[in-house]
Amino acid sequence: MLRFGINNLDMAEVKENILTQHTIEEIDKWLAKYPADRKQSAVLAALREAQHQNKGYLTPELMDAVADYLGMPKIAVYEVASFYSMLETKACGRHSVSICTNISCMLMGSDAIVEHIEKKYSIKIGESTDDGRIFLKQEEECLAACCGGPMMMVDHVYYENLTPEKVDEILDELD
Amino acid sequence: MIQKVKNYISSLFLWELIKGLNLTFRYMFKRKVTVQYPEEKTPQSHRFRGLHALRRYPNGEERCIACKLCEAVCPAVAITIESEPRDDGSRRTTRYDIDLTKCIFCGFCEESCPVDSIVETRIFEYHGEKRGDLLMTKSRLLEIGELAEKQIAEDRALDALYR
Amino acid sequence: MSVVMSEDQITIEVDGKELSARKGQMIIEVTDANDIYIPRFCYHNKLSIAANCRMCLVEVEKAPKALPACATPVMEGMKIKTQSKAAVEAQKAIMEFLLINHPLDCPICDQGGECELQDLAMGYGQDVSRYQEKKRVVKDKNIGPLIQTDLTRCIHCTRCVRFGEEVAGLREMGATGRGENMTIGTYIEKSVDSEMSGNIIDLCPVGALTSKPFRYSARTWELIQRDTIAPHDCVGSNMHAHIKIDRLKRVVPANNEAINEVWLSDRDRFSYEGIYSDDRLTTPMIKKNGEWQEVDWDVALTEVKNKLANILSSQTAESFGVIASPSSTLEELYLLQKICRALGSNNIDSRLRQSDLSDQDDAPVFPWLGMPIEYMETLNSALLIGSNIRKEQPILNHRLRKAALRGCQVSAINMIDYAFNYDLANKLVVSPNHMLDECLGVLKALVDETGASVPQSITDKLAGITVSESHKAIAESLNDVENSAVFFGLGANSHQASSQLRTIAGLIASISNSKLGYLSEGANSTGAWLSGAVPHRLVGGQKNATPGKSIAEMLDAGLNAYFILNTEPELDYWNGADAQTALSNAEMVVAMTPYISDAMKDYADVLLPIAVFAETSGSYMNVAGELQSTNGVSAPVGEARPAWKVLRVLGNYFDLDGFDYVTSTDVLAEALTAIGDITPDNDKHWAETFSDNTQSSGIACIKDVPMNSVDAICRRSKPLQATSDIADGKLHVNSSTAASLGLTQDGMANVEQDDNAIQLTVLFDERVPDNSVYLHSANAATNSINASLGSVKVSKV
Repeated sequence: MLRFGINNLDMAEVKENILTQHTIEEIDKWLAKYPADRKQSAVLAALREAQHQNKGYLTPELMDAVADYLGMPKIAVYEVASFYSMLETKACGRHSVSICTNISCMLMGSDAIVEHIEKKYSIKIGESTDDGRIFLKQEEECLAACCGGPMMMVDHVYYENLTPEKVDEILDELD
Repeated sequence: MIQKVKNYISSLFLWELIKGLNLTFRYMFKRKVTVQYPEEKTPQSHRFRGLHALRRYPNGEERCIACKLCEAVCPAVAITIESEPRDDGSRRTTRYDIDLTKCIFCGFCEESCPVDSIVETRIFEYHGEKRGDLLMTKSRLLEIGELAEKQIAEDRALDALYR
Repeated sequence: MSVVMSEDQITIEVDGKELSARKGQMIIEVTDANDIYIPRFCYHNKLSIAANCRMCLVEVEKAPKALPACATPVMEGMKIKTQSKAAVEAQKAIMEFLLINHPLDCPICDQGGECELQDLAMGYGQDVSRYQEKKRVVKDKNIGPLIQTDLTRCIHCTRCVRFGEEVAGLREMGATGRGENMTIGTYIEKSVDSEMSGNIIDLCPVGALTSKPFRYSARTWELIQRDTIAPHDCVGSNMHAHIKIDRLKRVVPANNEAINEVWLSDRDRFSYEGIYSDDRLTTPMIKKNGEWQEVDWDVALTEVKNKLANILSSQTAESFGVIASPSSTLEELYLLQKICRALGSNNIDSRLRQSDLSDQDDAPVFPWLGMPIEYMETLNSALLIGSNIRKEQPILNHRLRKAALRGCQVSAINMIDYAFNYDLANKLVVSPNHMLDECLGVLKALVDETGASVPQSITDKLAGITVSESHKAIAESLNDVENSAVFFGLGANSHQASSQLRTIAGLIASISNSKLGYLSEGANSTGAWLSGAVPHRLVGGQKNATPGKSIAEMLDAGLNAYFILNTEPELDYWNGADAQTALSNAEMVVAMTPYISDAMKDYADVLLPIAVFAETSGSYMNVAGELQSTNGVSAPVGEARPAWKVLRVLGNYFDLDGFDYVTSTDVLAEALTAIGDITPDNDKHWAETFSDNTQSSGIACIKDVPMNSVDAICRRSKPLQATSDIADGKLHVNSSTAASLGLTQDGMANVEQDDNAIQLTVLFDERVPDNSVYLHSANAATNSINASLGSVKVSKV
């Protein structure tokens, strides 16, 4: 009997080309934590993995692949990706640097740190360096490290009690 | 009898004539109020409601955005507007007619205009010789606006305080 | 909406008035039912509750703060104040927030005059804003040819987002970004691709989503609202037509819970754009020595009379035939058949897309849905045979979708893997050559399960059929389920063996105790059957002792005179090329048509301009057997006249008796009297005999009509023609079949059938089954290749 449905094999191939094997394994780890009919619960983790794979930011293709993998409407994935500040939807540098400028850090001189970094790389907050190394994140309010202000977060690692020299040291060490 | 004598005396001394001439001479020396129109003209308020005009912005862009509020408010139903998106996507009229034979010059149109586009100018001396001459089209209204823009702008500035 | 309603009645007090309510109802539902108005933006009775605009805040006694009426369930003894100081202050505060970022561009906004925000700002807004900072600006997105976005005006009520998810079944719109940067849109630039997308225009409480074709063309206060009926599918959706100076400017849905609820399909909403197309026929025309001349009505009708009288005097009346659109009104069809039969001919037909008519004598009085439209929501299982219901009858699909979301098992046996906006329980996609086998498979599974007996001819047929798991699953889903139905779609109706499919569908329905429903073509095909616009039946469905010829028979017989009503046979008839040839060979063709086309200029001899649906009074009977009458809402263009008037006067020209109607209501009254009292019944009557069906081998051809090319008006509506649901004149083929035939994407292919050969561009379409090609009907490029004429030969050019 001749029958024809949507050729799922073809589509799976395309997806795998976008999400690497490693990313899919990571997503699967997260998926295991949720009931089988609640796959969308893993969307944040999946997007984070996809973002890692792409060195710091998400493309519509990546988000589409995540949506297909989790069986979600594409727009629902875009909504999540555009909502959370830890997910970037525009091309940016591979090391994300966010400097807290909330009240405690501000009192401890975070403005000087911002100015120093902006001058050092000739970019403004929200921009990336031309070599794609550093991305100065637009906004990160209090990161709950007020005791060590001024502070910044580089690729999810906290650095506290900053001075311009210390900042240079930290940032110059990045590849 | 006394009335007869009175009448006789007054007609003898030409009393009526004197009375009349008195008025004549009195006005002869009074300040003159007659205006020798069209050589002379009366002063106009800056709120004078004469011939209509459509204005443009200083950069040449027409002000009218085809909101049709003037058309809706006109008590004499003298305004007809048709609109469509212009090539650049902005809302513009393709037709803006005012039938001056219907218009009662109430000024509601300029009152309702959110962009000060349709205005009534100080021009009141105009006439039509043929049927249709008093049907103002968009191009004619814009032409009037261009001619009278200086005066219109001054008048709006004067009135701005009260609006 | 999702709250389970209890039947317990409780009493609440609103503004000092005692009201009774069901437990679990929201406050706003109770007040709406009792005509107490609470302002709202995000609440809509057909959508889920979001409670994100907060405009409906009301004071509830003992609650510390104002509560949103749309999301607060009523409780016994609740005292609600909608007009108290606290309530109004809360609403005013919300309004101030909403207006912070809303632009002051009402004068150029198309929603101005019918804007919920504008109206409520009059009541709750302040004249001066305390907000001095810059307003937020959002870049507009292009979401297709039907909907204009002005997202700066959006107040984030999310009605459009919820509509997409809950009603259209396609989540395409969403709210991306957060806080002040939140915007409604599709995120990536894409068209909203739903057959119901236009409804978000009505849902949007502000001017963020407006109609693109209507853009800037009129103000709401200039428009006169008149009611009319949608003429493009068998649903008969109710619509409000908005008229400015006798021209139809736009269409919005009219509420009718029994038919279209508050929705309207895009086809019904935007087809009006085709009314004023450039090729509208505005004066009667006659062909004199090959030259077209514009003439007045009297000359044209005299010409019709003389020419036809001439033909009828020299030949039998049987040489005259009538082809009518099934979307014509009941009055038109009734008068047309009256004239036709009074002139002595029974050759009248309106079944344009059905090629297999062999079982017509066994047909019920009129094939119908088998149930009221509302009933579709209550189905627990349904089988669709050859139906793209989502695009063909969007409103019916919406009912079926509601049932499916409730748990109804919908299965489909189709020739194309059509997209559904709900999950199908079972899906079989097969080439036309195997349609019959698949339906027989389901029947066999049913027979195996129930032990029911079927006629001998079918038993023989069943012997050679293997029952698959899908067949069993479909049979099980239908059998012994309360409220089940089998729907016979347009694809099955136009199938070359549709009579056999009908028999099997009927058997499946009767054995499984399901209702049998026909999804009919056009807006009034039920009316056409009833008014006698079929050759084998008279008015009221009475058997015709001397049955006339069907369209195919007329064309084959080479009649000499034709009347055509409101259709373009070269595109609307299933064998368009044949129709075109036969018509151009005829001595006389009178086309009553709103439009003039090149093909028509070629074959017609007299062109009579008639009014389109909005310009004529008349009645349509929808697929559920509901008769709806409407008045003309706009003025006919030029010299065009309503077709019933033309036919009535034509009757006078032919000196026929009984053509003295004054209004279309007179015609309807006469027709209804003649029709009498009829109860539709799909269950009986279809043939129980079963002729042998020889399957053709080779590449099978599948044809259907895309949603927005379904009739002459839709084909002329520019916005609809800019959508993707139009006849594209390409050769659709799946990639594996293409590979075996050596075809490449966008390459040219030669398609041969009998003596016809055409060249078409190849389009890879994975919805097409193997060993099949798929063409769109209603396209001049493809009208010589026909699904009903067997296999085709396809080769690379």
